[in-house]
Amino acid sequence: MNLLKVENIHKRYGKEEVLKGVSFELKRGETKIVIGPSGTGKSTLLRCINRLSLPDKGQVWLGGEEITHSKSNINQLRAKIGFVFQDFNLFSHLTALKNVSIAPIKVKGMKKEEAAKLAMEELERVGLGDKADAYPAQLSGGQQQRVSIARALAMSPKLILFDEPTSALDPELIGEVLEVMINLAKDGMTMLVISHEMGFARSVADEVIFMEHGVIVEQGPPQQLFSNPKHRRTGEFLHKITELYGETN
Amino acid sequence: MEVSSPIIEKRIVIEGIAVIGRYLPGLLQALLTNVQLLLALLAVGFAIGTVVALLQVYAGHFLGVPAFLYEWVFRSIPALVLLFLFYFGPLQFGVSIPPFFAATLALGFRSSAYQSQIFRGAIQAIPQGQMMAARSMGMSRVRAIISIILPQAFRLSLPAWSNEFSSVVKDTTLAYAVGLNEILRHARFITERYYNLAMLAYLTIALIFLVLTYSGNWSLGWLEKRLRIPGLEMAGVSGRGRNLSK
Amino acid sequence: MKRKLVISMVVLAMVALGGGGLAVAQETYTVVSDIPWPPFEMELEGEFFGFDLDVIRASAVVAGFKVDIQNCEWSILVSSVQAGAKDIGASGLTDFRERAEKVDFSNHYWLANQAVVIRKDSGLNLVSAMTGKGPTGAVGAQRATTGGWWVEDNIQAAGFNVELKQYSTYPLAILDLVAGRIDAVIQDEPASISSLTAFPDELTIAGIINTNEYFGFIVPKGDPNGLLPRINDAMVVLGVKTAMASTGVEEFEITEGSFWENLVATYFGPPIEKIEAAWSKCKNLLLSATCLEDLENYARCMADAVKE
Repeated sequence: MNLLKVENIHKRYGKEEVLKGVSFELKRGETKIVIGPSGTGKSTLLRCINRLSLPDKGQVWLGGEEITHSKSNINQLRAKIGFVFQDFNLFSHLTALKNVSIAPIKVKGMKKEEAAKLAMEELERVGLGDKADAYPAQLSGGQQQRVSIARALAMSPKLILFDEPTSALDPELIGEVLEVMINLAKDGMTMLVISHEMGFARSVADEVIFMEHGVIVEQGPPQQLFSNPKHRRTGEFLHKITELYGETN
Repeated sequence: MEVSSPIIEKRIVIEGIAVIGRYLPGLLQALLTNVQLLLALLAVGFAIGTVVALLQVYAGHFLGVPAFLYEWVFRSIPALVLLFLFYFGPLQFGVSIPPFFAATLALGFRSSAYQSQIFRGAIQAIPQGQMMAARSMGMSRVRAIISIILPQAFRLSLPAWSNEFSSVVKDTTLAYAVGLNEILRHARFITERYYNLAMLAYLTIALIFLVLTYSGNWSLGWLEKRLRIPGLEMAGVSGRGRNLSK
Repeated sequence: MKRKLVISMVVLAMVALGGGGLAVAQETYTVVSDIPWPPFEMELEGEFFGFDLDVIRASAVVAGFKVDIQNCEWSILVSSVQAGAKDIGASGLTDFRERAEKVDFSNHYWLANQAVVIRKDSGLNLVSAMTGKGPTGAVGAQRATTGGWWVEDNIQAAGFNVELKQYSTYPLAILDLVAGRIDAVIQDEPASISSLTAFPDELTIAGIINTNEYFGFIVPKGDPNGLLPRINDAMVVLGVKTAMASTGVEEFEITEGSFWENLVATYFGPPIEKIEAAWSKCKNLLLSATCLEDLENYARCMADAVKE
């Protein structure tokens, strides 16, 4: 059964059409990576999925429930989708623990003690149990991003969207975040990730989706795209980023 | 025509200070009225100012435009005029509002216009990502504003709010014009009994206000320290926090 | 922590707003007066006294009610009583037609005229000072008082080029007169005499203008509390009767040895220091008085004390 179905998404900003009919699917437990030149609408696509942006045309289904134009409570739907931002966007006035526990408390109505316990578990899962009382400004970039992943996990989402989670990090800190993400994938979390980390893609992605100019150019298992891409453009792009970013395990 | 200035003679100054000393308890008690007015008007200003700022930032045209108009009106009219309007206006229709309430409303609404500016600046200085993150976790806009935006906005507002505080402390004496029995009114007991002590009397009041304003600012500074987020610098309303750990 | 802060701010605001009214159970009426204005209303160490205030206190004792004397700024005094927010006004209030349309007056209890105060060394007299012939061409008066209006109606209206400067309190006018910024100050006669005690070497009274102003106490129009008859009767008991003389002028008959006679002797004439000393000595007699005899003891005490 498809957990996520994206069908024919069009999105226009002003005169420019950024998404020109994007469709794909995600089964439960799958991890898919979206790659492509910047400005091709990848971030916009993610935002359309949890309706931070509303697509002009097309639909998104989550577990059989249509969410793009539904009249039902968008907040409830969003609570089922985790989102990890490039800039972390941790709540700067709250400790790491409170950052993770606040949504379960305010959105799901969980009791404070229960939420604190849950938050502690998630923080330990990402390896930051000892930083529970630290404020975001006291944490390194990698630590902040891991907290933001814990924050997403605390809501027990059906799916987590990652918008270039490591692009804003110093190279030394990328590894710790990728490690968390790899473990998540292995644990069976359904993930849609925009990233240029090819090593990560190779190790856990079920499929790589290459987008350019608002459309999906090619998609397929990472091995296939790397060794035998159908489109010239795919090969060119993959070659470029492998050159730039190098391979990471 | 030369006026003899008995005030300059030392003996008279010392006697004068002794007289003022006798009136000091009364003056300080009258000052209490100023302080009560100060707290009341700041509370009114805070409550309304927050609402107006939120409407200006988040509401559509229907509510947002009136909010901007409100702010413009109450920032443009002089405080004294507002006081007269709020006191003598109703009187025209036979309604007598006690001076304290008229002053609280007049000065409170005026402060709310300035405070709304402060809060709006602070809210807009908060990175967009905060609201996006909150909403993508399923928080409604209202919940995100209450739990995420406002706590940060109020912290950012403290330095500018301290300015507003200093400003309205002085404005409380304007309520004299609508008959409030506050410290300036009490000073009349001295100046009408001892004609040549007028300057000393007003100097004393000036000193009292110096102390009052200083204490207020000091308290707000203490509050700022207590609310400070470790690692984050508050660069004032227009600045963003700087992450010191990067 | 934040919630506590919000709650304490709200509580503070509520305390501030609610701090105003403490209701006293027994029949009590609020009396407003623009204090100080010697010798009619005065202040010493937080206590209010003076001719007006002592009379109203005494009238209350005789009539059987309590009064709560409150200091009230001149600019809002009459309108407060007019609107019924305050019950009685006792503040050297002149009875004239426009004011009598807004509030009701008791029987008259004092005849005041306007006095003109000038600098001793100015070389001016009553006429020259008031018609703008002095060095500054200006005279001063307290804002919204009969003195100022008299200048407008009788001197400026007659075409004399004199500037009328209005002050929020008359001591400010006196200070300007001493400083040479104006040539004369016009104000009620008793207050003028008071001003002279502050500047005995610099000022003098140029003359009296017979404006025939009568003072009365005021209550809201229609006398909703029924106080006027009680106050009027009390004043008779205290020793003053007003009667129309054959000349058409109102006159006061003061009973010899009465409360009234002694009170007048206390407040009109002696310097302020003596009056203050007398008050300190005798005040308890008035504040704890329950009958006419107590009141007469008080008045006698005061009259004797100012002679010491």
